[in-house]
Formats: sequence, structure tokens, C-alpha cells
Amino acid sequence: MNTPADDGNNNLRYAEYVLGVLDADARAAVAHEIETTGEAATAVALWQRRLMPLADQIADVAPAPYVWARIHDALQLDAPARIQPRKGLWDNLQLWHWLGIGASVVAAALIVVVSLPHLAPTPTVVSAGYMASTIQQDNGVTGWTATMDLQHARMVVVPATPVAFAQGRAPELWLIPSGQKPIAVGMIARDKPTTLALDPTLLAQLGPTAALAVSVEPIGGSPTGQPTGAVIAKGVISGAPDAGDHTSKVASAYHRNAGQTSA
Amino acid sequence: MSVASPAERDELNRLLMQTGRNDQKAFAELYKRTSSKLFGVCLRMLHDRGEAEEVLQETYTTVWRRAASFDAAKASAITWLITLSRNKAIDRLRQHREELLDDPSRLDETVDDQPTPAADAETSQEYRRLQVCLDELEPQQRDSVREAFFTGATYNELATRCMVPLGTMKSWIRRSLMQLRTCLDQ
Repeated sequence: MNTPADDGNNNLRYAEYVLGVLDADARAAVAHEIETTGEAATAVALWQRRLMPLADQIADVAPAPYVWARIHDALQLDAPARIQPRKGLWDNLQLWHWLGIGASVVAAALIVVVSLPHLAPTPTVVSAGYMASTIQQDNGVTGWTATMDLQHARMVVVPATPVAFAQGRAPELWLIPSGQKPIAVGMIARDKPTTLALDPTLLAQLGPTAALAVSVEPIGGSPTGQPTGAVIAKGVISGAPDAGDHTSKVASAYHRNAGQTSA
Repeated sequence: MSVASPAERDELNRLLMQTGRNDQKAFAELYKRTSSKLFGVCLRMLHDRGEAEEVLQETYTTVWRRAASFDAAKASAITWLITLSRNKAIDRLRQHREELLDDPSRLDETVDDQPTPAADAETSQEYRRLQVCLDELEPQQRDSVREAFFTGATYNELATRCMVPLGTMKSWIRRSLMQLRTCLDQ
């Protein structure tokens, strides 16, 4: 039977566990007690109720939309991979067809417009969720610009400078997660915008540590599932999916490009 | 997101119980309403966005698998969720503590170490009660309790940070915890 002193010591250990000051071994010991004795579980639950309100003081931070996509993917849920689907400018595919101009201009225009507050209702939990990548050729010239709409799980790839291909060859886009093998995203056009759907596996891998690459493949795509021809352009995926940041980054890219064009 | 109102709390309890019955829509809604709070908690402890994202992902996959064991009579959903995310973040801190401290680039994501004083309207009744009891503690001891809760630091780390002997830190925190219990259980 526990003496009052034991009870006091145990109770302190449970409090210390909940507060989070115990080292790894002591934590593991308490965690084991919680699993095995009802008494420990009850005492710990009481301390959680006492101390957890402190978390009210921690400011909320919206996680990037790809975190949900990863959870969705890991648990193989049927529910939509996107939270808060929103109809908007992106759905107007005509936009992509008549905007055959500089890629950065398209990206900048799109992001500026969709970032306007009245077009983005209740973005409290999931931020606007766009990523962009400038896919450059080895000589530094931009080949394509990709804009990824994470909410709607799709990507528009717009050619900046049409690239010449040999007869029977076409560009294929790949997503390369850091330290992993390329994943095929799809065939893209060399001279007009291409819209590609992003399945949850792809969506889960998008992020600032991943890159996009374009390789030269047979018209129907790589027969092996991995790039078989030369990689002709590469680009990092820029930016956390924070609309504000993006706007400024893409907008400044636009200004640079605009300067080059007029020069 | 505010989880302060009793109505919101009840709604979260309901969503978590439905999640326990494999309701994917409820789970998605629960994520939508609570992930910003939990991500804030993880980021505060881990100081690294990538690590915090991984812990958040682990937390919600565990939520999906263990939601059936949630008992609203023992804890509210938000307490259950915050506890789960803190436990995972603390476990990760204990595993990676040295790596995290050794790599200065990991401190890029450092969030402001001063807690954001939440406006009264945004805080729960439970928080205001706890605040009253915290205010009764000696300032240094109150600060150590907060630092411990927000950062998940061990006694040793806290003693180093506050430049006091380990024994002093232990007695500050233990005394504070006992005082808080007496005050809160009144």
C-alpha cells in the first residue's frame, strides 16, 4: 500500500511527466505505468487537465497544405486529399490558353489575383497553397515555369522559351524528392501550357526540398518509369505555400523578366 | 482558430468521437479546426518547420488510429490532442536533442520565446483559472514552469538556461507544481 509520501512522490512524477521535464528514461517509465495501471492514468489525466490550458498562450500557426496530403496518403483515406476546395480563377482553363506569354507573368498574375482577400474566404487553417518552380536549362534560360495549386491538386506548366526536340521526342516532367528517385508527373507540351493533375502521392512530396526536372523521352513517355533521355532543365520548388511570400518572389521574377524582354 | 468557447469544445469532442468510428469527414474537419493549434505547439518546441510537420503528421495518423480510445469523460478533445502532439514532440526532442542543438541552421525557425499574451476574449475559462494560480507563484518559478511547458526542456536544460544549479531548478518546479495543484483543486 502506498504511504502518503509515496503518493506525493508519484504524483510529482506524473506532474513532471505532463509538464515535460523528465529525461527519456524517466518518461518511458511513466509512460509504461500509464499503460499498465489505472491509478497512474487517472493521475496523469488530472495533470493534463490542470496544465494543458497553458497551450492557449501559444499562437496558432497554419501548417502547409501538403501536410494534410501526406496524412491522407499515409492513411489511404478516401476523403478528398484537399481541404477547403475553392472554385476560382484556376478553374478558368481558358486563362491558360490565351495566356501564352511569359511564364512568370502568368504565375504572378495568378497568384496576385488568387491572393486577394475577397477571393480567398476563411483561409484560417489552410493557407492559399500555391508553389512555383522556374525550370531552367543548363544555359540558365528558363524553359518552363510550373505553378502548383495544392488545394486543387494540379499544376500548370507554361513554356517560357520553346525548346527544340528531335523527331519522335518530347519533354516529360519529373518530381524529384530530396535524395529519392524521380517520380513521373507527366508529358508536357513544348510550346503551350499543360495542366497536370497531382495525385496524393505526388502532392505529398511537393515541398521546398523537392525539385522538378524535364527529360527528353519518346512521345508516349519514358518506357521504364524513370528518365531515359537527357535531363534538359531543372528547377527547385520555391517557397512555402504562403501566398504573401510568393507574390513578392514571383512578382520580382516577373520584373526581372519584363526587364529582359524590353531590353 | 479559437478553442475557447464551450460550444467549440463540444463540437471538437463530437468530431473526435466520430473519427473514432472511422468517419473520414469528421477527421478532416477535426484536422481543419485543430491543426493550427497543434502545429503552433510543435513549432514552438522543435523550432524547425520540417520537424514540426513530421510530428504533426505522426500526431494525426495516431489520432486516426487511436480516436476510438478517446473518452470525453476523462479529457476534452483539445486536451487529448495537445497532449498527444506534445508527447510526440518531446519524444523527438529527447531523441534528437544533440543534433538540434549542434546544427545552428535549425534555429532559423525560432519562434518568439515570449508567450503571446492571448487577449482575454480568446482564452478559455480554464486558462484564466490557471493564470490566476500561476500569478501566485514567485516570478522566477512561474517563468520556469512556462519555459518547461512551452519548450519541453529537461530539468538539466532548464537549469543551464536559467543558470541555476540543477537542485534549485528541481525544487522550483516541484514546489510550483504542488502549489498549482492546491490552487487549482480548490
